[in-house]
Amino acid sequence: MAISRRTRLHIWLRLLLLQASWNFERLQGIGFFYSLLPGLRKLYKKEKLLDVSRKYVGYFNTHVYLAPMVAGAVLKLEEEQAAVVGDQTLEIDNFKEMVAAPYAAIGDALFWGGLRPLAAGVALFFAVKGILWAPLIFILIYNIVPTWFRTVFFVRGYRQGMQSVEFIQQHRLPDWAIHTKETAVVILGGLSAFMVFSQLTQHQLPSWLGMLTLIPMVFLGLVARKGLSTLLLVLITVISIFFIGLFWADVVSLISF
Amino acid sequence: MALVLARIDNRLIHGQVLESWVPFVRADCIVVANDEIAGNQLQKLMMQASVPSRIRVEIGTVAEAIALVNSTQLDHRRVLLLFGTTSDAVRAYQGGLIYNRLNLGNLQANKGKARLSCTLFLDPADLDRLELLDQAGVKITARCIPADGERPWRKLIPASRRRGK
Amino acid sequence: MIVSLLLGALVSLVCGLDRVAILQIMISRPIVAAPLVALILGEPQIGLQIGVMVELLWLARLPVGAAVPPDDTQVAIASSVLAIILGRTLNASGIELLLLCLLVAIPLGKVGQYFDRYARQYNVRLIKQVDLALDRGSLLQAELQHLRGLTSFSLAAIGTYAIVLVGGLLIIPFLWPLLQQPLSYSSAWVQLALPLVGIAVILGTINVSRAITLFCASFCMSFLLMWLV
Repeated sequence: MAISRRTRLHIWLRLLLLQASWNFERLQGIGFFYSLLPGLRKLYKKEKLLDVSRKYVGYFNTHVYLAPMVAGAVLKLEEEQAAVVGDQTLEIDNFKEMVAAPYAAIGDALFWGGLRPLAAGVALFFAVKGILWAPLIFILIYNIVPTWFRTVFFVRGYRQGMQSVEFIQQHRLPDWAIHTKETAVVILGGLSAFMVFSQLTQHQLPSWLGMLTLIPMVFLGLVARKGLSTLLLVLITVISIFFIGLFWADVVSLISF
Repeated sequence: MALVLARIDNRLIHGQVLESWVPFVRADCIVVANDEIAGNQLQKLMMQASVPSRIRVEIGTVAEAIALVNSTQLDHRRVLLLFGTTSDAVRAYQGGLIYNRLNLGNLQANKGKARLSCTLFLDPADLDRLELLDQAGVKITARCIPADGERPWRKLIPASRRRGK
Repeated sequence: MIVSLLLGALVSLVCGLDRVAILQIMISRPIVAAPLVALILGEPQIGLQIGVMVELLWLARLPVGAAVPPDDTQVAIASSVLAIILGRTLNASGIELLLLCLLVAIPLGKVGQYFDRYARQYNVRLIKQVDLALDRGSLLQAELQHLRGLTSFSLAAIGTYAIVLVGGLLIIPFLWPLLQQPLSYSSAWVQLALPLVGIAVILGTINVSRAITLFCASFCMSFLLMWLV
């Protein structure tokens, strides 16, 4: 028996709540069970349904935007499983386990590591200019790709079942993640230059001074690479600027004196 | 070859390793030593597909990993070594794959395992194996991602067990 | 003032849940959350300025697997609310007040990380409930346990918001007369420095080889262009 479009929509909507019970022991496990339940209900009855449910509440974790693809594929596999007499429970479990960590790695790199700084960088240009649409611009730019992954790949996962992994294998998404991150770095470079330049023109200072910003920034970057926390770096920076600001007038008068 | 990180993580290659540790230790080669995954061709392919192509990935059994790391193949590489379980780590060490520091990342919760930290669940056998490595002079610390603080593993052991020693 | 606080709490709840529990459409990012709450309270520009300063600070802390990043959402929301409310009661304005609110909120916001971790630890209890419900044969109960997880995440979000807000309301009125004048010498530069620190941290931790080279090239190029045009 095939799962109706209506039920699949129900499952897709439930996937939006995937992490509502995220915990350190099973991560998204309960959420994955919760999302699939409408479909499982259509396929199994009574004792069998409980057995299958027990299997799904176990440990599971992948990237939120790629979970719909796993869910779609698993749904297809369960559908096939329910139709035949034979037992391929093991296969479904293995499939779920096999794709979870790699999808998580791909999603983390592409969305958290790449797309988020990219979208933030673009939106901040507008925000620095004081344009109130900046948040909306951020949401629009950011959400295009995740929404595409969530919807199109859910459908594709359901249609192709286990074959759905081929897309991921063929398209070298991790390399795309690197390209996205490189773009993000370039945009953040432009953004920094823009912020520094506007500040200097506002204070009517010579603009070549702005190039000097690179020195503390590179230094902070290297320090951050060593593992120093942002909180500490913020405190150090703010306090030093505060004291420079406090005594700047005295220093200037001393020098000119 | 420089062994920049040896880590126990039951999820092997995933976001924390690729997004946090690889840039932090500037690794350009990941070696996974786990018999189970080495036997599963498809899973191996999936795992390789999740790593950018500029990073070399080697997934093999513990024995293969020992041979590889001790060969000249990985010269001039900065290697990040991943184990799936504590027993893999011990077997590798005893087999001649020497590391001075061991990082504990994630060990999944199972029945009969005690919680050491948010992401670490170990049973008594695991603790004995770590004890063995500790005796051999390996510095074992728990640290999920570089931004977390590094904590020596002994401080995390439940008090009841420490008293038993 | 009470109404403003409650409206702020509502935004803190919705945006806070977007962080982990539901949706993940990134309304939890400071650049969205701060202007949103400020818009509701009638002074969107304040939120936008705070959003710019906070957005990049912890952008490099990725929510990978079980790693819990600092709660920048609540820092952004609470400091916007603080800046707006205190601006009215202290009859103050200007970037100095925003900075003071933010600098008080950032260390206080550290509790958000603990609360978040605690919520995720608390949710471990739900597992037992789910297993029990399945043993009893009640799927509905098992489903409901999942939604119960929302409560702990909501409490973590609101709790962080409340602590930052109460802390801010207690501390800032005392600090303001002392620091208003001294801060005014450097406020514009601190405002510029915060996003730059965030960018520097991103450069230091992003998984791109030669990120710093790429950044410097892009910076110099953009700078030259703006200079020449």
